[in-house]
Amino acid sequence: MEIKFSLNGNDVIVDVPPMKRLIDVLRDDFGLSGTKEGCGEGECGACSILLNGLPVTSCIMNAVHVIDKKVETVEYLAETELGKLLIDCFDEVNAVQCGFCFPGFVVAAYHYIKEKAEADEQEIKHALSGNICRCTGYVKVIDAVMLTCQRVKERGMR
Amino acid sequence: MNFYQPKNLSELFRYCEATDGKKYFLAGGSDINVQLKKKIITDGTVISINHLKELHGIQELDEEIVVGALTTFRELITSDIIAQYFPYFQTSLKQFGSPLLQNVATPGGNIANGSPTADAVPLLLVLNARIRILAKSKMHKLPLSDFYLGYKKFNMKPNEIIGSVHISKDAERDWQTFYRKIGSRKSLAIAKLSLAGMKRIENDKITAVKLAAGSLNEYPRRLKNTEAFLVDSNMPDEDNLRKILAEDITPISDMRSDKDYRFEVCYRLLSRFLRIE
Repeated sequence: MEIKFSLNGNDVIVDVPPMKRLIDVLRDDFGLSGTKEGCGEGECGACSILLNGLPVTSCIMNAVHVIDKKVETVEYLAETELGKLLIDCFDEVNAVQCGFCFPGFVVAAYHYIKEKAEADEQEIKHALSGNICRCTGYVKVIDAVMLTCQRVKERGMR
Repeated sequence: MNFYQPKNLSELFRYCEATDGKKYFLAGGSDINVQLKKKIITDGTVISINHLKELHGIQELDEEIVVGALTTFRELITSDIIAQYFPYFQTSLKQFGSPLLQNVATPGGNIANGSPTADAVPLLLVLNARIRILAKSKMHKLPLSDFYLGYKKFNMKPNEIIGSVHISKDAERDWQTFYRKIGSRKSLAIAKLSLAGMKRIENDKITAVKLAAGSLNEYPRRLKNTEAFLVDSNMPDEDNLRKILAEDITPISDMRSDKDYRFEVCYRLLSRFLRIE
């Protein structure tokens, strides 16, 4: 089935089985391996992408779900001004250990800051609650997002 | 595994009538993809209905609010109409799944998947929600409480789908409300149990009460015996309340919890709710 959608700012068409999982379309057909498969059941958030601007887990979605929609992966977000800042802040507070869950956190945090940009710890915790890290914990991850919110404000990026 | 994507509802029902075998309707995909992965679904036809506009959106009518079956939970959580009429429902839904799942999951899918732990169903049950069943020839409405017949057994024929969920505009008016979901963590947890309640109190007497539990029976359902027992009563003593509750819930032990824990926590949630003024 021909699936036409917008991927990282470009209109694309791909011929894949309609029920092919979105994560597999992104990784196999487009080589976008920043999107990671953790649990494969929508419970860990490692495979998060933005669909029409909202974070979703791509392992429990199918190619048909993105027809005529806008998909943005971590590769694309990482090149934006906000994405670069987020990654720098994660780096600065040493929030990343093994790194497997990190792309998913970037996607969820990117969406949170786009929508709110308030350095509100409870709100941030809620926004990131669909993402699981198995190495270490969430304290520094939340610090990183708080720091990003402050920088966004300081730099008038919003 | 076959696949079909209709252009509209009439095409959908024509196809369903003409096609034999198992059919799985694809909404947001958050349940079906897990079942495909675990090989619970191995044959039959997946019919994508997620794109059908007739099944989306929140609509205000004179007496009721109509929620398209495939409206996402995010749309419900951010809806001004839902905030205006059903603040209890909206606030409680924030505990549904995770923010990521709320962006794709739908009430139609949550109801039709028939999981005993379906987060939204106990809430809809105490709100006396009704669902509209769509079919090729005619549609009909039924109370959500009449939809479940057993574990993943539904009061619905093979070629029918849930079109919308209907809630009376005054469903929350003048009720004291309660909702607790008990899981291993706040987000992403499949509930060990959940309890939704609404009550009216006059002169220390319960004049009306509605209770629904999740993960405590083979499907989410109203606690009818307990409700009847509580109405027009003063606060019952512990032994009697435990006895009557045992008639309504049949907790099991599984990977998430055990039956004694589930019973005990349900009892405590209930007694906490009954004391809240």
